[in-house]
Amino acid sequence: MSIPLLRDAIIFASILTMLSTGLTLTYMTTKVPNFAHGNFAAINAYFTLITAKLLNINPYVGAISGFFLGGAIALLLYLAILKPLLDREASYIILMIATIAYDMILLSIINIVADYLSRAHRITSRLFQLREWGYGVEILGQPSIFIVTPLLAALLVISLYLFLNRTKFGIAMRAAIDNPSLAGTIGINVSLTYAVSWFISGGLAGVGGALAPLHMTCNTDTGTRLLISIFAASIVGGFTNIYGAFLGGFLIGLAEVLGTGYLAINLGSWVVPYRPIIPLILMALTLLFAPQGLTGINWDRVFRGRRA
Amino acid sequence: MMDLSVISIFLTNLIILIGLFIIISLSLNLEYGYAGIPNFGKLLAVAGGAYFVGAASGRILALAYGQPAGLGYIERNLEVVGFLNNSLSSSPLQSIGFLIFSIMGAAFFGGLLGYAASYPAIRLRGDYLAITLLAMGEILWVIGDNWQPFIGGSMGVRIPDPFRWIESQYRPVAVLSTVLLLALMVFLYLEYLGRSPLGRLLKAMRENELSASVHGKDVVRLRTRTLIVGFSIAAVSGALNSLWTVSVSPKDFERVRHTFMPWVMVMIGGAGNNLGAVIGAIIFVTLRELIVFYKYFFEAIAPFDVVWLEYLLMGIALIIVLMYRPEGLLPEKPTRTLSEKRLREIAASASSEKLLEEA
Repeated sequence: MSIPLLRDAIIFASILTMLSTGLTLTYMTTKVPNFAHGNFAAINAYFTLITAKLLNINPYVGAISGFFLGGAIALLLYLAILKPLLDREASYIILMIATIAYDMILLSIINIVADYLSRAHRITSRLFQLREWGYGVEILGQPSIFIVTPLLAALLVISLYLFLNRTKFGIAMRAAIDNPSLAGTIGINVSLTYAVSWFISGGLAGVGGALAPLHMTCNTDTGTRLLISIFAASIVGGFTNIYGAFLGGFLIGLAEVLGTGYLAINLGSWVVPYRPIIPLILMALTLLFAPQGLTGINWDRVFRGRRA
Repeated sequence: MMDLSVISIFLTNLIILIGLFIIISLSLNLEYGYAGIPNFGKLLAVAGGAYFVGAASGRILALAYGQPAGLGYIERNLEVVGFLNNSLSSSPLQSIGFLIFSIMGAAFFGGLLGYAASYPAIRLRGDYLAITLLAMGEILWVIGDNWQPFIGGSMGVRIPDPFRWIESQYRPVAVLSTVLLLALMVFLYLEYLGRSPLGRLLKAMRENELSASVHGKDVVRLRTRTLIVGFSIAAVSGALNSLWTVSVSPKDFERVRHTFMPWVMVMIGGAGNNLGAVIGAIIFVTLRELIVFYKYFFEAIAPFDVVWLEYLLMGIALIIVLMYRPEGLLPEKPTRTLSEKRLREIAASASSEKLLEEA
């Protein structure tokens, strides 16, 4: 296994971890799989392109504002669309359709921005990348993206862990997830905790998406393509467990890059375009044999056999 | 001044497209409107039907005529298809046979695809199924776009034309009648199904899965069967689409057009009402074609491709309908199993019996 491949795998896995964590978080609170999550990231990839090429701002600085842009986009979806629907006790299918409709609006905005950038400013806006920032700039002799992305992912994941376990508001959020009506009765503002969960989710996706073009070629359909990997990561980890999302994101990211790389070395480069099949197969196997995901399996029972 | 022939071409194309989308939205109405299954993999079904025609039915015809059917079918595509077209154009019977075989094969293949794609998640809550079907649709696109021997990769493949025996000026009319005939057949079949005991069972499952299974109904089996039928119907639309354009190319089938648009049509038309699905298809296909038709006009004033504006409008329209009129333009009506007259008679006799009892 070559070093660049391993590096690629770790960078992609870190980005995917940020994305799957956010998806799982909103699934836990509002119980709806967010089909717009991929484009939360894609819109921030374009945001990075604009800041780097038009405004000449260091994209790593831009990634921080990506957190707020992504958060705002997610918060808008929750407050303007999902919350009114939830108040009317709409079914989860209606909520899913609403997220798809929002996804379509985001996709339209992304494409309009891309068209505008290429027509008015002559900036390559389809199949673009900013690897001169990610790989051209080095930290400690390594490409900066290889240092920054895993560190940032770890930092965000640890802060989320501390937030959910050590702060009063985080504990209230977990209570609102476990039993919304009971949490409401003891004075927790359930919809506020949900709104915050959407903001965090969009923020994580924003950072992941803002860093993506520094590592890989992005396009207007990047969000749609990423969505399979994000869902696979969340489902493999266990859709209702936030720690499962960390695990699933990292596992799927590694499996996708290393698996494709390994097969490409052995079978030839024609396998590369079929890369999305790997997360799909892992997701299908999980759904068939352990629908609760890796964190839902009773490992005690697996290792010690059935208890008497 | 617009040429009359431009208008007539626009109208024929429009009506064919409306017919194709009516078939898709009716199939979604069966799955979602009647049975409550969130099928986000319509692309899978439609592209599956088209891919069958591109990969299998042309090859089988080539085999029957002793032409190269394996890799040669893709490599010498134009040559082989040219030869097949010559043979088909002189024989209406074989052409019609090819047409029927393609459509039935696509329906069968679509059903198979529906069964296989839904298998991992069919036992779980609907959102897992929706995610799985959506992902499978994308994967089918990846395979179609990259696997050369299948349907020629991103270049696509040309297929024999089953309408070639008709004079070329009447060909659009022949396609149009075929599409509308099939759309009508699907409509009548689904209306019949909706009134049958199976239709009521599907609605019972939609309203409360638990109570349906408590009454001894096998919910998983029912869902699987509904998806197989829905996939078959949608695959017919895909097959017709490629037989009309006499080519199959992965770029013709994409998530927004074939998964999202049918959802917009069904939700805005009115889920659970076949007529609603038809109206929805008419409205949105017309809207889309008008935008495309006047594209050059918009292009001069907007610094972007106006197709994206259509996505934006559809997304906003769908959200507005979900929030303010979730039942759609034509709300679902209770299905009557007996005629109105017969129901009145029963009611009258019941009330007279009651009077007699009281007396």
